[in-house]
Amino acid sequence: MILLGSLTSINGQPLLESNQNKTPTTSTLENLRFFETDIRPILNTNCLPCHNQKNQTSGLSLESRASVLRGGNRGPAVSPGKPEHSRLLQAISHINDLKMPPAGKLSSIKIGLIARWIMLGAPWPEVPNKAVAARPHVDHWSFQPIKSYTPPKVGHADWIRNPIDNFILDRLEKEGLSPSRAADKVTLFRRLKLDLQGLPPTPSEIDSFLADKRDDAYERAIDRLLESPHYGERWGRHWLDVARYADTNGFGFDRPRVIWRYRDWVIQALNSDKPFDQFVIEQLAGDLLPNSTLDQKIATGFHRNTMINEEGGVDQEQYRVEAIFDRVNTTGTAFLGLTIGCAQCHNHKYDPISQREYYRLFAFFNTQDEMVINTVRPSEVKGFQKLSSDFTLEKLRLETEIAKRESKLINLIPEWEAKLTKEQKKKVPRNIQEILKIPTGQRTLTLTEDLEAFFKEEQDPAYLKRTRDLELHASTPKKGNPNQFTAMVLKEREKPRKTHIFNGGAFLKPGVEVSPGIPSILPALKVKDGANLNRLDLARWLVGKKNPLTSRVTVNRIWQQYFGRALVTTPENFGIQGEKPSHPELLDWLSNEFIRKGWSLKELHRLITGSATYRQSSHVSSEIWDRDPQNILLSRSPRYRVEGEVVRDIALSVSGLIHHQIGGPSTFPPQPPGITDLSRGNLIWVTASGNNRYRRGMYTFWKRTSPYPPLITFDSPTADKTNIRRDRTNTPLQSLVTLNDDLFVEAAKSLALRVLRNESISKNGRLEYAFRLCVARKPNEFEKKELTKFLKKEHQRFLENPKQAMKLLPGDFPQEIEPWRFAAWFSVSRVLLNLDETITRE
Amino acid sequence: MGTKLQTASLLKNRTRRYFLQECWSGLGTLALTGLMNENLFASSINPMASKKPHYPAKAKSVIFLGMSGGPSQLELFDYKPKLIEMHGRPIPKSVVGEQRYAFIKPEAPLRGTERVFRRHGQSRLEISECLPHISSIADEICLIRSMETNVFNHAPAQLFLYTGSERPGRPSMGGWITYGLGAEAEGLPGYVVLHSTSRAWNPGIQAGASCWSSGFLPTTHQGVVLRNIGDPILYLSNPQGVNSSMQQDAIVAINQMNQHRYNVMGDPEIQTRVASFETAYRMQMEAPEICDITREPQNILDMYGCKPGEMSFANNCLLARRLVENGVRFINVFHKGWDHHGQSPTNELITSNLDQACLDVDQASAALVKDLKQRGMLDDTLVIWGGEFGRTPMGQAQDPDDPSIFRGRDHHPNAYSIWMAGGGIKAGQTVGQTDELGFHVIEDKVHVHDLQATILHLLGLDHKKLTFRFQGRDFRLTDVEGVVVEKLLA
Repeated sequence: MILLGSLTSINGQPLLESNQNKTPTTSTLENLRFFETDIRPILNTNCLPCHNQKNQTSGLSLESRASVLRGGNRGPAVSPGKPEHSRLLQAISHINDLKMPPAGKLSSIKIGLIARWIMLGAPWPEVPNKAVAARPHVDHWSFQPIKSYTPPKVGHADWIRNPIDNFILDRLEKEGLSPSRAADKVTLFRRLKLDLQGLPPTPSEIDSFLADKRDDAYERAIDRLLESPHYGERWGRHWLDVARYADTNGFGFDRPRVIWRYRDWVIQALNSDKPFDQFVIEQLAGDLLPNSTLDQKIATGFHRNTMINEEGGVDQEQYRVEAIFDRVNTTGTAFLGLTIGCAQCHNHKYDPISQREYYRLFAFFNTQDEMVINTVRPSEVKGFQKLSSDFTLEKLRLETEIAKRESKLINLIPEWEAKLTKEQKKKVPRNIQEILKIPTGQRTLTLTEDLEAFFKEEQDPAYLKRTRDLELHASTPKKGNPNQFTAMVLKEREKPRKTHIFNGGAFLKPGVEVSPGIPSILPALKVKDGANLNRLDLARWLVGKKNPLTSRVTVNRIWQQYFGRALVTTPENFGIQGEKPSHPELLDWLSNEFIRKGWSLKELHRLITGSATYRQSSHVSSEIWDRDPQNILLSRSPRYRVEGEVVRDIALSVSGLIHHQIGGPSTFPPQPPGITDLSRGNLIWVTASGNNRYRRGMYTFWKRTSPYPPLITFDSPTADKTNIRRDRTNTPLQSLVTLNDDLFVEAAKSLALRVLRNESISKNGRLEYAFRLCVARKPNEFEKKELTKFLKKEHQRFLENPKQAMKLLPGDFPQEIEPWRFAAWFSVSRVLLNLDETITRE
Repeated sequence: MGTKLQTASLLKNRTRRYFLQECWSGLGTLALTGLMNENLFASSINPMASKKPHYPAKAKSVIFLGMSGGPSQLELFDYKPKLIEMHGRPIPKSVVGEQRYAFIKPEAPLRGTERVFRRHGQSRLEISECLPHISSIADEICLIRSMETNVFNHAPAQLFLYTGSERPGRPSMGGWITYGLGAEAEGLPGYVVLHSTSRAWNPGIQAGASCWSSGFLPTTHQGVVLRNIGDPILYLSNPQGVNSSMQQDAIVAINQMNQHRYNVMGDPEIQTRVASFETAYRMQMEAPEICDITREPQNILDMYGCKPGEMSFANNCLLARRLVENGVRFINVFHKGWDHHGQSPTNELITSNLDQACLDVDQASAALVKDLKQRGMLDDTLVIWGGEFGRTPMGQAQDPDDPSIFRGRDHHPNAYSIWMAGGGIKAGQTVGQTDELGFHVIEDKVHVHDLQATILHLLGLDHKKLTFRFQGRDFRLTDVEGVVVEKLLA
């Protein structure tokens, strides 16, 4: 049983537990289906090539239950109900000499399934039962209507704060575990602040939270945090992952695009707690709503975040179709949690989605034009007009200068040519050398033009500078460019395109024509008296009462942001190959509750953060770790490194550098030279000056083919496709960023000054103040002692070596602070900013 | 330089001692790794830990000399007398079929090459005059004249070659390989990317970072660009005003606090953080020295044609060798400047600009193979030289003054040439053949997926078993295709 013991938590599903209470009833329909879906394919692929009725290698056939029980030369292959005594399991587990299959050990999941099958008594239909075999996908859990569950009764009812806790505790009690104690108030407040706003709390915020002795102080804190516009930024960023938001077109050229209005729309929608169903409808079909507003049009930018291939010579139709593929796949993943994209070239291998059904979904997205609209708002008109005329005037000025320079230049060529030495001639490109050999009068027009182009572009710095100036001026992302006030949207065509199945997924191989429609496994979307269905119908259906998926998928994704791990750990795949929910009843309860409260995201946040489950401490004992290392059962709060944007925002916040402006065109914080040059797209990274250097990470201009290094190093998604689940790695390159990137150094200096200049803090209180700024709590005795020792050592260092301290002083260094003191505090600040805890949500 | 070197080695000794004697956290990590369930945590502590291949490997590391833009096989490797004979005549429709092109019409006139081809070495490999140095290593290389790809635009074709998919978002070959094998390099990333160009402007290849992206693999498997300006690795040097002793003391203090936090919280991820700070410091100490090619003797610099300090393919080839010596698993050495359409009057000519590109890469490519060989490293280092596609037998950009001149060729996915050397490759042979116009492959077709399968095979990896589950599907580099090309193997 040792072997089986280690298998109990595969897939987050106890493999055996559910059956321990049941007597193995071999041939229930459920068990037979389990055999057909999970076991027969394993046997067919891995065993039957040798162990079939005909070959009977080693006398063994695994083609029927009888032959399995009879076994081969070594005896019976399976003892029903007794996996540990079954040769089949021993052979595939490689515990004895006989190791099967010869091609290599099966995955532990497959071995676990075989063990479970034997445990169930080796169910096997008498004859291959088509009805049994064909139905598993129909009965798949996620396609069933959301059930209503009553929160289960639990032993320790005093722990319960809301029904979430009933479901969690019920499971814990069944597993013989108990929840962790609640986290202390400070940890809890920092957790809330990071989760709801993506920002660290200030010491004064913490103090006022601690001072609030009312019973509902905690709930009030949640309300306060949800009311702040930073909530929309924080949760907007999560949604932008799903929306694959970026500021460039992707592929080879990867030119800048203007779509920040969509990003701001998301922030705004979340801050106003736009019901999630409406949130979905506007993004998918805002343009089709009656009398649609400018904002509703901007919302359709959701599906304009697809990439555009602008490389010379590409087939426009191919990449129009590619973008639609992406829209279909993203719609499938983001709302339905289905890997619909698998059915692009052939019927889905696992889920009941045919290729025809894929193209019926495709048809919804094949009938619109991609537009860029003007989005100047009434309040912006005046500023925009001035901007526009300034822009045009400057452009004209530069163009005139270039024309002047050009006419002058051409006259300079003979003189330049005459003065060229042999050495200089050797340095010009070969084709130009060839031209220079031909006497002036005999050159063809083309050759003359070649030479002029070479001379203008490569020989005259003044000309080059002016053309660069013009390029920079016209650069779309540049502040002051009136094109900044546009948005990319979808607009339904008056004459819809016809949609055909593409055979093999290739756009050059159109097959039969299809009309818009929903996969038949999902609740039907009815055609209105003959009219074709459109995107608005699709959007309404997605958030309609009968669709069992959108609410589950959404609730699951939001759960994941809080607990680091979703209830369904494949939030992008609720299909047959996806994982089953760890707490299926809780998932359904939450999904119902979400809909019942009018799809209010803020209500959902209140519910989750209000639970006792959420409030647990993230301490982990080795005993708990051994029992549940992945924290599937939630007997503690998870502890994890915050996202790349938040790593940045924390450094900016605690140092006081951060500039809070909600929305606006994307920003260009300093980055090392040469980053943007490693990709095409004529993007000039004009490093922001002033406040825009210190904006939140989510506003950083996102260039798909050469993303801003500090963010990409911390696992920000590239935005090539929808992202439902970010990686969370901890690597040495990340340590290099927080140690050495200019921004983090600047933050350390700024934090040092913030500490030294704060007159309300006594000299002895400085360390605690700095520590609290970074991690919210007060340092313990060990930390105080060690940091004080470090500070003293650094004092000593800079007193002995004042020159070293001088090297660190920022430009506007205040007179009243001694450089050595500042330098020592800079060292301490660096340590604090680099602590694991500083960038961790505990 | 002497003093610089001394300081560096002093610091290094100091670091080693620090790691060996004083660093409780390092020991802590080791002990902890031993105690914990290996399967669950080995990857979280060090995803780059060396892993066993599926079967014994021929090659340990790969240097992929990526010629971005699409070098013309018809000017370099695939001699077609018939094409010269038919110069200026339209290509027969029967040959072209339904093929589509980026810029030219399918009925465009053919272009014969003006380059002279000769046979070289014992193996009598046929290579053009454009590449005299590569010709001199004819017996060390395996020339493949039968490459085929799926796509005819740069970015998608590069993505297809380096990631196995024409759309961005998949892990690159280098990422798959470090995912499968880990890397021995400790003071360096396991997967490195280098750039140079023959053109005046930016060296970046068209598809950019998507070509060395980790895709859905953990970001640890992302290629790290070694840069030509500033730090060789981003953020490698200490900030201004911070000297080594300050940096070291800071890291010791950070990890001491982190270790304490681990004792309180019990979260093993804190140990990962401790280890990552140690490795970061080690990179800071070791990487600059490894990346510094001026430490090579003059004769080696001359052999490659290096001019230290410049951004050049020669410098990158020598650097690649140094990286392989230090345990780097996979290196993309991209060189841009092979897109010879002939459309732009001052660039992209298949005459002078092709000459320039050849001049930029020929000597160093050959020197790399020779140098690896003389160090006994060629046997387990696989070198690949080639682009994302080839160029058309048809000419492009007809000269308005002389209609018999075509200044370039368009992109051609159906048939092109690359070469491979070392790491288990059967050298001194030509594999594959194209038709007499060089349009189609007629013998031993090597599809990009086959090339990828073969590269993995040489590293001891089965391309069908090297999978990663993402969004409900087991993905692999070769998608659902790819066959190991036995003919290429020694």
